[in-house]
Order: sequence, then structure tokens, then C-alpha cells
Amino acid sequence: MPQFDFANVFWPQVAWLAVLFVVLYFGVVRMTLPKLGKVMEQREDKIAGDIAAAKAAKETADEVDARYHAEMNASREQARAAIAAAKADAAKASEARLAEAGAKAEARVAEAEARIATAVKAAEGKLADAAAESAQAIVAKLTGVEPKLDAAKQTVAAQL
Amino acid sequence: MANPMEQFAVKTIKPLEVAGYDVSFTNSSLWMLFALLAVSAFLFIGTAKPQLVPGRAQAAVEYLYDFVRKMLDENVGPEGRRFAPLIFAVFIFVLACNLLGMIPWVGSFTPTSHISVTLGLALLVFVTVCIVGFARHGLHFFSLFWPSGSGIALGAFVFVIEFLSFLSRPFTLAIRLFANMTAGHVLLKVFGTFVVTLGSFGALPYVGGILPLGVIVALTALEVLIAVVQAYVFALLASLYLNDAINLH
Repeated sequence: MPQFDFANVFWPQVAWLAVLFVVLYFGVVRMTLPKLGKVMEQREDKIAGDIAAAKAAKETADEVDARYHAEMNASREQARAAIAAAKADAAKASEARLAEAGAKAEARVAEAEARIATAVKAAEGKLADAAAESAQAIVAKLTGVEPKLDAAKQTVAAQL
Repeated sequence: MANPMEQFAVKTIKPLEVAGYDVSFTNSSLWMLFALLAVSAFLFIGTAKPQLVPGRAQAAVEYLYDFVRKMLDENVGPEGRRFAPLIFAVFIFVLACNLLGMIPWVGSFTPTSHISVTLGLALLVFVTVCIVGFARHGLHFFSLFWPSGSGIALGAFVFVIEFLSFLSRPFTLAIRLFANMTAGHVLLKVFGTFVVTLGSFGALPYVGGILPLGVIVALTALEVLIAVVQAYVFALLASLYLNDAINLH
């Protein structure tokens, strides 16, 4: 095997390997790869930054959404409260008006009743007078003695 | 019948001598140079204009670079990132040598089928591991070989074994790659000669060569796979050894 003919193949190969590898490492790999490494790092940073930005944007959106819902709920509550208050106000107002009207009507009824009562009393007085006069006349006709009007009135009042 | 070992012969293209050492430019050097040029083209085109959204060439380089970085992250941890360029260089050089050696017709030579080359690369890894280990931990680096929670006698025994196994690492690393490449190419060459010998059987020409030809096609696919896997294994073991030096278990 020519590989083990070290006397003839070792130094020429090792010497050229050393030279070429030094050129490869310092002249090629060290010249090119760091550029690439920088770009790869930049890319990783950019991707990480983009993901962070997207996450932040999503958080903001969630926050806005939550605030929107909270505000919606609050205004809904407010509206409900306003409706309830308006309803209560309306009920109270109509109650007051009803009460007022009722009071007025009652007053009128009481007035009318009072008038009726006076009228009845007057009518009763007149009736008694008429009855006394009738009784006086009747007694006068029957007995020929005209009783005194006051006595007749007293008798009628006692009889009624 | 051609000798299947002939393909591994190192042929001098331009004789050179430095300080008494023979450092001739050979076909092995030529194909290492091709590997260097291929890797250079791949890397310089891929990183000519690095962009946040990569094009095809950049995506290809990034894929390999990311592959090496992930391997180091998994096996060494965050401190392994510093060695990504080195491991990447070893990985892509071995990969390029392995794959260029698979090209038929053009008389390609596989430098990684020579133990001199693989041992050179393995020693590079080994020396790096030793330097990193002693630089980070000083003499405490030797505790890597000491089993925790054992007596002095057993500990010393295990220490010797562990130390020898540590010293044998560059050789196992080198021999694994060299043996895989050599065996694959020998196998391909043997079946190639089968195609010729069986196909030139006078009474029934060509027919006999069909079966070994089919086998050689399948073997070529397997060898391409091995070329990639062995480059990966080399880089993976290098990062595991680095992990020992950096984290001491």
C-alpha cells in the first residue's frame, strides 16, 4: 500500500496539508463565516423582536377589548338604572296626581254632602213647621180651639 | 488486471525541497488544492452579500454552518461556539476531499485515503484539544483521566488506561477516516476490474459485466454516503474531544 510508504508520502502531503489548511482557515473560513454568523444573529434578533412586538400588540388588543367590554357593561348598567329611575319617577308622579285628584274629588263630595245635609235639615225644619201648622189647623177644626203655634210645634217635634 | 492499490500512488508533479525535507507538489497536493478551491468558491459565493433572507448559495452555506454550530451546542455547550470556525473548516475540508475523490474519469485522487493526511488533521484536532485543556484547567486537566470516587490503586490503574486511550485518539481518528476511504475506493476498483474481465469473456461479450456494473453503481451511492458520514464523524469526534477539554466531564 502506497499509504504506508511514509518515507516518500508523509512530508509532501503533511507540508501541503498544513499550508492549504492554514489558507483555508485564516484566508477563507475566518474571512467568510463571521459575516454569515452576524447575519444569522441579526435574523434571530429580528425574529425574536418581531415575535415580541406581535405579543405586545396582542396584549394591547386584549386590553382594549377588555376595556371595551367593561365599558359596554357599565353603560348597559347605567342605562338600566336610568330606565328604572324614570319608571319609578313616572309611577310616583302619577300616584301624586291620582292622590291630588282623589283629594279634590273627596273635597267636592264632602261639600256636596254638607249641602245635602243643610238642605235636608232645612227641609226637615220646613216639614216640621208645615206639620205643626197642619196639626194646628186640624186641632182648630176638630175642637174649634186654635192651639198655640209653639205648643203645636213642640208636640210635633215630640211625635216626629 | 490493474492493481487496486495503484490509485493511491502519490505522483510527484513538481519536485520541491525545503530544509532537506521533500515537500514536492504531488497529485495529493493538487487534489487538496482543488478541495480548497471548491470550498473557497462555496464560501465566498455564499457569503458575498449576506442578507437577512438568504438566497440559494447563502442558504447552502448557512445550512452547513448551522449544522456545525448545532453539533457544538449539543456536544460542548455554549462555549463550543468559539470553535465553530475550526470544526467547520475541518469538516468541510474532509468533506470536499472525500467527495472530490469520488469523481470518476478525471483521475481524481482522494487525499483522505492517505493516513499522512488524516493523521495531520487528527493531530491538529488533538493539539487543539490539549492546548484548550491546559489553557483552561492547567494541570487540573489531568483529572480528566482520574475516575471519580475510587481508591488510589484502582484510580491509578484506570488513570493509565484512560491516559493511553487519550493518546491513541489521534490515531483512531486518523485510521477511521483513512480506512473507510481506502476500503471504499479499493472495493470500487475491484468491481471495476470485474466489469472489464467478465465483460470481455469471448463467447458471450458484455453480458457478464452487467452484474458487477450494477453493483458498482450501488457501491458508488454507498461511497458518497460514506464520504459524507465520515466527514461528519470526524467533526463529531473532534467536538466530543473538545468537550472533554472544555468541560472535563
